[in-house]
Amino acid sequence: MKIVVAMKQVLDPRGFTVNRKAEKIFVNREEWITNPADLCALEAALALKDKLGAEVVVLSGGPARAGDALRDAWARGADRAIHLSDKAFSTADGCVAARILAKAIDKVGAVDLVVCGDRALDTGAGEVGPRLAEALGWPQVLGALDVSVQDGHAHAVKPDGAGYAELEVGLPALVTLAAGANQPRYPHGGRIMESYRQYQPEAWTAPDLGLSEDELKPLVDQRGQSFPPERQRGTLLDSPEELVRLLKRNRVI
Amino acid sequence: MDFTFAPEYVALRKMFREFAEEEVRPLAKTIDREHRVPHETLKKGAKIGLLGVPFPTKYGGMGAGETGYCIMMEEFGRVCTSTITNIGAHIGIGAMAIYLDGTEAQKNKYLTPLASGEKIAAFALTEPNAGSDAAAIRTRAVREGDSYFLDGSKIYITNGPIADIVSVFAVTDPSLGARGGVTAFIVETNWEGFKVGTLENKMGIRGSSTSELIFDNLRVPQENILGQTGLGFITAMKTLDLGRVSLGAGCLGGAQAALEAAMQWAKARNQFGASIAAKQSIQWMVADIACEIEALRSLVYRTAWMADSGQPFSREAAMCKLYGSEVASRTINKALQIHGSLGYSRDHPIERAWRDARISEIFEGTNEIQRTVIASELFKEIGVRVRS
Repeated sequence: MKIVVAMKQVLDPRGFTVNRKAEKIFVNREEWITNPADLCALEAALALKDKLGAEVVVLSGGPARAGDALRDAWARGADRAIHLSDKAFSTADGCVAARILAKAIDKVGAVDLVVCGDRALDTGAGEVGPRLAEALGWPQVLGALDVSVQDGHAHAVKPDGAGYAELEVGLPALVTLAAGANQPRYPHGGRIMESYRQYQPEAWTAPDLGLSEDELKPLVDQRGQSFPPERQRGTLLDSPEELVRLLKRNRVI
Repeated sequence: MDFTFAPEYVALRKMFREFAEEEVRPLAKTIDREHRVPHETLKKGAKIGLLGVPFPTKYGGMGAGETGYCIMMEEFGRVCTSTITNIGAHIGIGAMAIYLDGTEAQKNKYLTPLASGEKIAAFALTEPNAGSDAAAIRTRAVREGDSYFLDGSKIYITNGPIADIVSVFAVTDPSLGARGGVTAFIVETNWEGFKVGTLENKMGIRGSSTSELIFDNLRVPQENILGQTGLGFITAMKTLDLGRVSLGAGCLGGAQAALEAAMQWAKARNQFGASIAAKQSIQWMVADIACEIEALRSLVYRTAWMADSGQPFSREAAMCKLYGSEVASRTINKALQIHGSLGYSRDHPIERAWRDARISEIFEGTNEIQRTVIASELFKEIGVRVRS
């Protein structure tokens, strides 16, 4: 079985503060982490590898720093890491990103299952997964908490109303995983050392994937950004009695 | 001159921090109260190589050298000193002695299971009458045919009750003293004649197990001599040099965590209508703490680099231990002061950090001994021998 994991880096949210009043984002410490949902997708792929045996191939776009995320994935147990690295990729929107990934998955060849996060922590758009499944012409399950494979089918568990639903799709298929779906394993320290000292992720460019300039033109252009209104600070109360008094005064009870 | 960490060390630090925050911090209070580092935590760490950080991969280690090991000690030192004491005794001195002076066969037999965390190591040098004065060792090793028989006891041995393999230092020739008369042995704790004595009831690092070890006519085969007969003291000194660098790194982590906690509290605490972070008295304490930490950081990682690049680093190692332990005690004390009464509460981590920091000024060679080592090396440069 061959599993592809698509991932990207996001800015560590612990390193910046959002000032809604000034409509500004202050980056105190620029640190990049693997998108948490993508890391859950990687864990799901590695768990399948442990159970059934599989080749796990990780794909990521982004500038040179994406190499850190790829090496991290390799250190956690992926077999192959490929950096989709081309200046022309830098303007990609969700649609173009899906197009690039679809071509790369074609090039990897004989892929049975693609997993990725259901949404990125930064844009929160959640569109690359479904667009990628469309581009590949494969069935998809979005926002799964668990995925298993049996008899040429993927079984995915996802929240459904107040409970859960188990969905079955024929392979090849695409499954996106929700952040928090599982507890990603730690990379082995020795593999971390090796990932920098001996290992080099592969790099594929637009010509490698046979992508023309036209195919890489984004469909969306961003005109500006706005911030949601600043939230009002709550009041700290000292005792339940005070709460009751306030509720009475405001005629809530 | 390049003071940046190679990217593999940056990635390694990230992993260490994540493990320390997720797996150790939530347990730190319990570790202190219940006097033990959970076996499951060590096992979980062993799975990702934490118990063999500095050793080469061919012995099952992480291959990260002294630098990588210091990074781990710093990151774990931020959250739990008991845990780094256990790991430090295991890697830094217990297994390190075997790595430095063991034969290839000894390394394959003993270092490999230690580096993978399958077995736990300890280092047994200190005795009731021999601590800083290692020449006063009384534990005797008497040769009979192709075996040695050990008799005597060791005290304050970290990991004593949990160790599987112990590097033991014993007198093979009383007429020669420390230089020539002491030999190191690799001892398996399941051998007949090995006993764990009384456990210490300590002020700090309460989660690390410290005990007396007793050898009663303990037979050690000749092939378990570590290094050369009579040169055990040199093995001990070489091992302790490396241990002292990482000890400084652990202190660095403790001091850094205390600074961060004090700053968070200073930001949150309001007095006289403003956050106390706005008070100059607090700012000066924070600035002083930060300066000392920065100086220590430079010293520790430069010394680790010297060790990894094969340069002599004995004097700097003594400085790491001496300065590191005093910086930790001083800065954690100031950080506690910033916390006010809150910092004096048994429920606050800074109270534990304050108790835990104190031991570093004492163990692995007291700070007085470190000063002697540093001064004697300095005077040697101008041709004066000051060591007694």
